[in-house]
Amino acid sequence: MYHVRLIGHFIRASVQQELAYRANFFINVLHTVLSLITGILGIVVLFEQVNTINGWDFASTLALLGVYLTLSALRRLFIGPSLDSLAGMDGDIWRGTLDFTLLRPVSKQFLVSVRMWESFALVDLALGIGVLAAAVIELEHTVSLTDMLIFTLTLITGVMLLYSILLIFVSLVFWSPGFMFTWVFDGIFQMARYPLDLYPGWLRLVLAWVIPVGIMTTVPAQALTGGLSAAFLLGHLLLTTGLFIGASWFFRFALRRYASASS
Amino acid sequence: MIQVQNLSKTYRVSERQAGLTASIKSLFKPNYQEVEAVCDVSFTVDAGEMIALLGPNGAGKTTTLKMLAGLLYPTRGTARIAGYIPWERKPDYLKSISMVLGNKSQLLWDIPPLDSFRVIGEIYRVPAAEYRRNLDELIDLLDMAAVVTKPVRNLSLGERMKCELVAALLYRPKVLFLDEPTLGLDVSMQKRLRQFLAAYNRSSHVTIILTSHYMADVVELCSRVVLIHHGKLIYDGDLQALSRQLAPFKQIRLTLSSINGHLDNLPAGINVLEQEQNQLTLRVSQSESAAVTAHLLKTLPVVDLAVENPPIEAVIDQVYQGALI
Repeated sequence: MYHVRLIGHFIRASVQQELAYRANFFINVLHTVLSLITGILGIVVLFEQVNTINGWDFASTLALLGVYLTLSALRRLFIGPSLDSLAGMDGDIWRGTLDFTLLRPVSKQFLVSVRMWESFALVDLALGIGVLAAAVIELEHTVSLTDMLIFTLTLITGVMLLYSILLIFVSLVFWSPGFMFTWVFDGIFQMARYPLDLYPGWLRLVLAWVIPVGIMTTVPAQALTGGLSAAFLLGHLLLTTGLFIGASWFFRFALRRYASASS
Repeated sequence: MIQVQNLSKTYRVSERQAGLTASIKSLFKPNYQEVEAVCDVSFTVDAGEMIALLGPNGAGKTTTLKMLAGLLYPTRGTARIAGYIPWERKPDYLKSISMVLGNKSQLLWDIPPLDSFRVIGEIYRVPAAEYRRNLDELIDLLDMAAVVTKPVRNLSLGERMKCELVAALLYRPKVLFLDEPTLGLDVSMQKRLRQFLAAYNRSSHVTIILTSHYMADVVELCSRVVLIHHGKLIYDGDLQALSRQLAPFKQIRLTLSSINGHLDNLPAGINVLEQEQNQLTLRVSQSESAAVTAHLLKTLPVVDLAVENPPIEAVIDQVYQGALI
């Protein structure tokens, strides 16, 4: 309950900070609409040429885009702003203001992960869910209640996977405080826009199990379209648990390197 | 309350020569040097006591303070504060301490301090009624009712520092670490903050360790000082005793219209500490300072003259060289 209340306070403070800058609001809306248009346009152009690609038709690819947009929105909602504020030249590690985070009698990982929220991302989230709904209507396969439950579960684990990978990337900042490691991740994350089956074999393996961005979107999309195998689901759950535990350990290990900034 | 034993911290710092070639070379074969920031520092502080860590820039004051707050792991040595080992960062320990850093802010920049205070109160689980009472008391003591509703970025440095103190004391910590709390403040704001700290220390019996290189902070607030130089503890004790040893000297800063030939006319027993063009810094014994000043004004073409206490850096330097202790 204490943690939920804290999150409530963090959200309130973040919204207040956002409202201090009005122009940001409009730029954010523009950003969201642009990324939606380019996303859909890409798929439409692709499926004007062919009907299916390696077993993925228009509706399932749309479902995948919906998952991608939803995950990106959740990232923008809190994981991104919270973790990004550690890195870079005006980040907490560079400036040494992480001192105050370390002095709080709360789990540091919790504080670092949920203290900043970006309410504009709710617009992104609505659009992501809208694309998902459109995909469900387009699908030939009827989505059952079990499909929906598995979809929700895999979406949550997808968020956890995304969070764990970002936490590992951001922990690297303790070795090089000025560098935005999450930018490197952004490049890789773009690949999750398209189904895993689109990529050549070796890359598919990398995107599924090494830097598992592909699996984050493909598994929930398959849950929705009915193409998810039990073995793949199990592998996904195990990987998520393992990566979450590993990332938490790595963050604590990296934190020991923090030397604070000079006086 | 605080026991520190042989506390030491060594940093590994990369080092390279000037120039492009050296930069490229260090990319592949970096050169590291071990720097001992704090070396075998030991002292104890009683509950409710207020002491000052003194020393010039880079002496190791802040590093010591950060180890005591649990922000840095020491290379050697132990410390116990209120029964806890600081760098284990146990939640109960963190609840009983607080830290104010003169050049860093824990307030959210774009919103009024009052909102930051509420988040802090929640993090430290301060019950609503107690939160209200503490907040009202601090706002009243610091006379800042008009300040707390303005966004932090619109506050002056002094107003912001008052807010930092409120944020640090909201949950009534038992130990307070203050790192250069008066840094960059104007004289009257420094004075007001000092008065507040002295009053708060008396009323709430909070144990305070303060670092500063403003001697005035120390003279007004702390009866006991711990001097650190090059990471080593060189004096721990009564400020009065130290100032009695320092008291014999005053510094006279002189600007002359012309210096030609006048240097030889200085009265005996005067030490020339520094000479830069027409400016002179002299050291004289306190008992003679009035007479010497009168003599200087009479015999030399004086444009400007100031009689000062020796600056803390000079004092510590003398202490370090064994001249005074």
